[in-house]
Amino acid sequence: MDRDTRVYDDIFQLLPSEENPTPLVRINALAPAAGFDLFAKLEWMNPFGSVKDRAASFLIRSLEAQGKLSGERGMVEPTSGNTGLSLAVMASAKGYPMRAVVPDKVPLTKKALLKMAGAELDVINDNLCPAPGLGEGSIAIAKTHAKAQPDRYAMPNQYENTENTRAHEETTGPEIWRQTGGKITHFFASLGTAGTIVGTGRYLKRKNPDIKLIVVVPDEGHDVPGLRTPAELATTNLFEEDLVDEIVEVEGELAFRTALELIRKEGLLAGPSSGLIFEGARRVLSRDPDAVRGGVGVALFCDDAFKYVDSFIKHVPELAEDTAP
Amino acid sequence: MTDYANTDVLVTTDWVKQHMDDASIKLVEVDVDTKAYDAGHIPGSVGFNWETELQDQVSRDILSKEDFERLIGGAGIAPGDTVVLYGDHNNWFAAYAFWLFKLYGHEDVRMMNGGRQKWLDEDDKPLTVDPTPLTPKAYEAKDADLSLRARVMDVLKIVEAGDHNLVDVRSTDEFTGKVIAPPGMSETAQRGGHIPGAASVPWASAVQSDGTFKSADDLRAIYFDGAGVDAGKPTVAYCRIGERSSHTWFVLKYLLGLENVRNYDGSWTEYGSMVGVPIERGTAHARKAEPATA
Repeated sequence: MDRDTRVYDDIFQLLPSEENPTPLVRINALAPAAGFDLFAKLEWMNPFGSVKDRAASFLIRSLEAQGKLSGERGMVEPTSGNTGLSLAVMASAKGYPMRAVVPDKVPLTKKALLKMAGAELDVINDNLCPAPGLGEGSIAIAKTHAKAQPDRYAMPNQYENTENTRAHEETTGPEIWRQTGGKITHFFASLGTAGTIVGTGRYLKRKNPDIKLIVVVPDEGHDVPGLRTPAELATTNLFEEDLVDEIVEVEGELAFRTALELIRKEGLLAGPSSGLIFEGARRVLSRDPDAVRGGVGVALFCDDAFKYVDSFIKHVPELAEDTAP
Repeated sequence: MTDYANTDVLVTTDWVKQHMDDASIKLVEVDVDTKAYDAGHIPGSVGFNWETELQDQVSRDILSKEDFERLIGGAGIAPGDTVVLYGDHNNWFAAYAFWLFKLYGHEDVRMMNGGRQKWLDEDDKPLTVDPTPLTPKAYEAKDADLSLRARVMDVLKIVEAGDHNLVDVRSTDEFTGKVIAPPGMSETAQRGGHIPGAASVPWASAVQSDGTFKSADDLRAIYFDGAGVDAGKPTVAYCRIGERSSHTWFVLKYLLGLENVRNYDGSWTEYGSMVGVPIERGTAHARKAEPATA
């Protein structure tokens, strides 16, 4: 491995760490407050394309360390998105079987992506009058496989496994601290499993308790893939509300419009969750620009736009206009 | 604190674990997700598919007596056996099967409190993918007890007379007519709203966050004090296709001990598609759903 020439022995050497951080890129044209440096942390520069590479690699490493993975004994995980893709690619490259339990409502392209990565799919109808407090169906089925066939499956369980938060405490947090020279004053992230905000937040607050941790969430009924509202957080055990300074709710629709602004004005190919997080950061910072002058913010951009073209078209219908001769 | 009106119809997961090897105890899993049983089930249980095994495959109806006998006998269950039902989604379809067993006169039917999820969440409760060996038995059912079932003609008479409690157990949005069915459902109706005079008590009001039923006192407060169900009157419960209402039917009849409770299994997919029947919309009689979790 030679980081200077960027020559690596295998793809795993690209996984992020304090020495090999994902880039921070300054927001310029869309800067929300004069005298405040807001940076986007480009998590799509991770080797498998999203912030979830961090949790997924820690989850796999931990199962490996416990001797739970082999050519015969693989993983089962409820996932429709980035964690599944990341786990599936890594599992395939390492020779472990991977079974992804996916709700039927997940778009075909995402299911196909998992299969492209070598995962076996278990598609279930998750949507039948979901009731408050019930475990999501896909989580229950994945747990069932792991419990009924422990010799075939280990379950990483990103929603409960503290390796998820540890990944961010040991990588995302230290990276940001070093990249900003300890000057960070605001950190913006969203909520899926809550691993990012809790892990990164813990590290940053240890370094400087005055750093503001701000969670941006979509409103009820949103359609932003991978994100949850606080009300939907029953699914995860990892959230620590006391750690967070502020929760900002943003209309889910704006995730798509704002992502387009980032693409067109900053050259950042932001996916919808990045759009939402940036919108939240913009609101918080423009509320009282004088109060944040001189500060440094980092907004975590989870992944890029490519996987979400269908969602963009659905929410921004004019994207489909004038696309035929 | 008072107990449920019938305590013998409900068993705990621990009880099931202790008794799962008893030859006269027959465990039956019925899930909304028809793949769940194959993914893993309680050792010794049989699984019924609600779509292909618990309803007539030609006309829209419950199983005929002959089909019920064939299914139950084929599963190795004898009329004198104790049947313990469990399933996903807080026992929705387990409750539907319970109703069917009672309709055809099976004496000893019980429900595992908390259902499949509770069993799954408890570390000491095993699951297997091994098929359960079955020895078919000759099963003779009783004639259908139609006092447990409401048909649309009964419901129309009730609407006119106003002499029953009508309990709508669907979500508030279905009750008010904002949606006809939850998103993504293939079974739907032509119109949204509810049967005139119905009280809205979403099924989930009856369960706690771990999927077990609320206490008798809490249930009484919800159905009698909150929703105005009059214990002195006969009651009909309905939902969209008759499975969630089986759950509430079980609560009202067995846990609260109401004498006369019927499940309207045709439910909204039938009523909401009838020509010329009265429909009410909006929030009249609506009662806010109590979420299963805080």
